[in-house]
Amino acid sequence: MHILIAEDDDPTARLVEHGLLERGHAVVRVADGPGALRAASDDPFDVVILDRMLPGLDGIQVLRSLRAAGVRTPVLLLTALGSIADRVAGLEAGADDYLVKPFAFAELAARLDALYRRPAMTDGPTRFVVGDVTLDLLRREVRRGDRDIRLQPREFAILEQLMRHAGQVVTRTMFLESVWNFHFDPQTNIVESHLSRMRTKLNDGFDHDPIETLRGVGYRMTSA
Amino acid sequence: MTTLWRSAAYRIAFTYSAAFALAIAVLGASVYLAADAAFRHQLDAGIAEEMTDLARTYRAGGLDGVRAAIDTRRSGAANAYHYALFDAAGRRVAGALDTMRPAPGWSDIRFVDPAEGEDAGRALARPIGGATLVVAVDPESLERLDAVILLLFAGAFVIVLMLGTVGALVLGRYLRLKLATIGDTAQAIVAGDLSQRIPIGRRGDEFDIVATSVNVMLDRIAQLLDNLQQVSSDLAHDLRTPLSRLRGSLEAALDGPSDRATLKAALRQSDDILALFAAILRISEVEGGGIGRSMEMLDVGELAGDLCETYAPAVADGGRTLTCRATAGAPVRGDRELLAQALINLLDNAQVHTPAGTAITLALTRQDGTIRLSVADDGPGVAEADRARIVRRFVRLEESRSRPGNGLGLNLVAAIAALHRGRLTIEDNRPGLRAVLVLPAP
Repeated sequence: MHILIAEDDDPTARLVEHGLLERGHAVVRVADGPGALRAASDDPFDVVILDRMLPGLDGIQVLRSLRAAGVRTPVLLLTALGSIADRVAGLEAGADDYLVKPFAFAELAARLDALYRRPAMTDGPTRFVVGDVTLDLLRREVRRGDRDIRLQPREFAILEQLMRHAGQVVTRTMFLESVWNFHFDPQTNIVESHLSRMRTKLNDGFDHDPIETLRGVGYRMTSA
Repeated sequence: MTTLWRSAAYRIAFTYSAAFALAIAVLGASVYLAADAAFRHQLDAGIAEEMTDLARTYRAGGLDGVRAAIDTRRSGAANAYHYALFDAAGRRVAGALDTMRPAPGWSDIRFVDPAEGEDAGRALARPIGGATLVVAVDPESLERLDAVILLLFAGAFVIVLMLGTVGALVLGRYLRLKLATIGDTAQAIVAGDLSQRIPIGRRGDEFDIVATSVNVMLDRIAQLLDNLQQVSSDLAHDLRTPLSRLRGSLEAALDGPSDRATLKAALRQSDDILALFAAILRISEVEGGGIGRSMEMLDVGELAGDLCETYAPAVADGGRTLTCRATAGAPVRGDRELLAQALINLLDNAQVHTPAGTAITLALTRQDGTIRLSVADDGPGVAEADRARIVRRFVRLEESRSRPGNGLGLNLVAAIAALHRGRLTIEDNRPGLRAVLVLPAP
């Protein structure tokens, strides 16, 4: 992935850059608003990591200018401000995702993967197949092999997220946002308990568990 | 005067009384002009009538008849008219009006009054039979009337001006005093005494209305400041413990052999600190009321049912049961996410502070125009003395110290309730505890 980091806090920027380089991404770093606007307008990046508060031109303004100029590159907004109004302002300005500092690097990496491979919202697939598991959005059906699996709505939504992002990590907060529409951490184990129920139903009668737990990071579904 | 003029209160009062005095002056001038014109017209009409009368006498009795008529009229006691009959050569041949012969028609003349000497008069001259008859009147009464009108209005003008000035001074002083109480309060607050409030009169006038609004504003500011101070001292106080713990872990990791477990513990501790920090900020954000924009009409019955479904597996995993007695159809104006968080905190509390096997019930009831969302358990409950206390920030009952939590859960629920103009009450469930989020029904 070709990633632009616009972040004025040097230690944060270096940490993110280091992590992304290690994962084999190409990274460009800028430290101010005008620089971010120029770089993101001139070069076709796959994803832009944009800090909310940048010197010269703040992140929201950079984002608005980019969107106004027709640049559709996915943008992940980083912020030290976690208020609801602030998040709404960011999304309204055209951010694709939003992450509050401080964050775990694994969370950032998972969200970048999700942004990069995000299917177009309008005509996304309605059927997902991962290994021997099939999920049909229109019929609300899940099958594994030749067996029907009956899931509760939340469990279905959790599995859908995992299959949409097959091979990628889906973090706990990503589940909270997409399945429950919670933009706060309720500090409880609702994700874990729903996921474990879904997993039990999915694996009933099978040896292989297609869902991998990455402790402290999230979950990943793979076909192998 | 300059200082008085600089005061808006005096300026307004002075300007007002000056405008009033000016109105009196304009009224006086108008009355004077109108009365003068009307009276003059009346004088002229009298003269013209007298002349017509004498002309009729002339047609009946010739010049001699006129002469006789003039003498008769002059001897009349109440006669205000003066007469003169001039012959063709311009000599006065009859009447006592001592003046030069005026041109025919209306004219203002000078004549010699036997009693007052030279005087101004109003005269009508008309040729009759080769002679000229003049009838004149001394407009003395008119002048007297004019003088009275002028005097009255000049007096009124001066009195109004004086009263106005006195009134302006009194009104200005009153306004200044009223405003000074507001100013003094503001000064006292600037000097650091935030408990000062503007005294409010009983009349409920404009000043009292403004004072009331300002006082309400001051209350709100004081509350926010208190909140801020509370947050700062909470942060200072309650972050110290976990931070020293974190420091200890890091120190141990440095000293010992490369120890992943200790480092992991340190990471977990820093996550706890960040969670605590986020919780404090969230409470102050909610208490600050800055989330007004996401308020919408929503169905809390539906929300409660939804949360039951979300939460039931987690509760069952912990060996407790969750029963839901909430049906859709309870509209409330609120913030969906915050209300969800409030209910989650209550459910979480019911789960964390009770033994396995406890039955938890989430119920929605209506009572006196309110919607009550209650989370009840049949666990050990909380002693009555502690019930009010557990809502406060960082209060954790001794016996629950070992349990997870940061002592902010119920405080956040209370803040969310307050944001929705509702309240959080802690009741005895006999047995167990019942936490009720009371929201006003729209």
